[in-house]
Amino acid sequence: MAMTQAILQAGRNEMAGSVLRADEPRIRIRDVTLSYGALQIIGGISIDIAPGESICVIGPSGCGKTTLLRMLAGLARPTSGAVELDGSVLGGPDRSVAIVFQDYGKALLPWRTAAGNVSLALEARGCPAKERPAIIRELLEKIGLGRHADKYPSEMSGGMQQRLQIARCLAQEPKVLLMDEPFGALDAMTRQALQDEVLSLVATTGATMVFVTHDLEEAIYLGDRIVCLQPNPGRVGRMVDVRLARPRDQLVTREDPEFLRLRRELYDLIKDDHQ
Amino acid sequence: MSHLSMRKLVLGILGLAAFILVWKAVTDAKLVSPIFFPSPERTWAALVKGLAGGPLLAQTVETIQRMLLGWLLASLVGIMLGALIGISRRARVFIAPTLELLRPLPASAMIPIAIAFLGFSDQMVLVVIAFGALWPMLLATIHGFSAMEPRLYEVSAVLGLNRLQVIWKLALPSALPMILASLRLGLTISLILAVVGEMLASREGLGQSILLASRSFRSADLFAGIVILGAIGLVGSRLLSMAERRLLRWQAAAR
Ligand SMILES: Nc1ncnc2c1ncn2[C@@H]1O[C@H](COP(=O)(O)OP(=O)(O)O)[C@@H](O)[C@H]1O
Ligand SMILES: [Mg+2]
Repeated sequence: MAMTQAILQAGRNEMAGSVLRADEPRIRIRDVTLSYGALQIIGGISIDIAPGESICVIGPSGCGKTTLLRMLAGLARPTSGAVELDGSVLGGPDRSVAIVFQDYGKALLPWRTAAGNVSLALEARGCPAKERPAIIRELLEKIGLGRHADKYPSEMSGGMQQRLQIARCLAQEPKVLLMDEPFGALDAMTRQALQDEVLSLVATTGATMVFVTHDLEEAIYLGDRIVCLQPNPGRVGRMVDVRLARPRDQLVTREDPEFLRLRRELYDLIKDDHQ
Repeated sequence: MSHLSMRKLVLGILGLAAFILVWKAVTDAKLVSPIFFPSPERTWAALVKGLAGGPLLAQTVETIQRMLLGWLLASLVGIMLGALIGISRRARVFIAPTLELLRPLPASAMIPIAIAFLGFSDQMVLVVIAFGALWPMLLATIHGFSAMEPRLYEVSAVLGLNRLQVIWKLALPSALPMILASLRLGLTISLILAVVGEMLASREGLGQSILLASRSFRSADLFAGIVILGAIGLVGSRLLSMAERRLLRWQAAAR
């Protein structure tokens, strides 16, 4: 309980901080390009993302969504331009930027239990061994894995494994949460449950989120803004604001006329790209 | 114990009994001269006598010590060296061809070199054992490290694990199945080289004991020594299998 309070408090401080310097973005993507040899994959992307903002990235497959996200995580280096985190250039992976990979099966340690997998993030940031069990329990509880702490990933369903990966990311106490089509492999019900959990996590921690998806409705449901990428090379085609009330609700939000209008708009945009 | 493993045990014992019966039939029919080929009963008697009051027990302890010491040395060096080479792609590219060149050399080719440096000593035998048993561990560790899921390296980078933590918490556990299999192989090699080393360098142990028994046509003593060697190999490999099952529980969970 104390842990939740701490996280909530941290979240509030985060947001208080963002009020103080509201004009300074958490992430600034500054005219970024990326080429593999002669092939340009990303061709000049600039986006500012405010603290606590949730950005969703959509676009046809192969347009560079994953590549863009990997640059934000510091796992890929821009060929030109830069990614800035809180005003300083990101030179490599940073503990305050967490990433949830789509292939949870590969991203988890199969020889560690759920608790052990979360523990890895705590061990990495030098959290004392005595404090770990309480934090782990708190995080697993929060993400709905409280009763599965001793299970190995191979004993868990896809949805549970993805929950576990999210819990491990939260253990990093990140300022930025990157997600690469995290629910693409999950069934519709699990997907909706996890969407709501991510929304509530982002709301309580105040984290900034960049969420890649190929599902238009998911993008509208989660995002404050939607970036539509166009392929060859990857660049921003359109930026769409999502003016839907929060907290969002699977039934109410999805029936909102604005939701339907956005869906139509984005559908037409994407359709053009596919032609 | 599960139904299946019980069944396996029973079948194994039946097989052993059949083997001994055939052995007995061959010696009873005097197909081979008893000077070279003792009956099971005589072998058993020599075994009991040698272990109870004779020198066999001390020799067995000697050989087991030699084997374990060489194996531990090889495991330690093999896994540590393998980790250092395996964790860096540059080191792998740099060193792997040399290792591939050295690996097919039979451990016996090392013996003259070891003798030249260390003479006919216990240290010489130990070096030969360690050198021969080193390869499976070294190569399994390097291979296990290079076969680690690339996504896990990214996870470690994002979480901010340092290099030592990557080795200890990610690479070693992920290479563990291969390393454990190589430990079992290494133990077998250690036993073989302990026996060969004792024979060549006349060091106390089962190797020397069976060599002397064979030279003086004490075939029952010779076979008693061989039975003990077989038992050492079997028990060692069984113990390691048990350890393997315990350490790789997470794999069993996957099935
Ligand atoms: N390491 C790489 N080397 C060469 N080309 C790559 C590499 N990684 C990705 N690409 C190419 O970059 C393009 C964008 O890939 P990606 O970012 O994965 O797209 P998306 O996630 O939008 O489907 C693809 O055409 C892909 O083939
Ligand atoms: Mg992708």
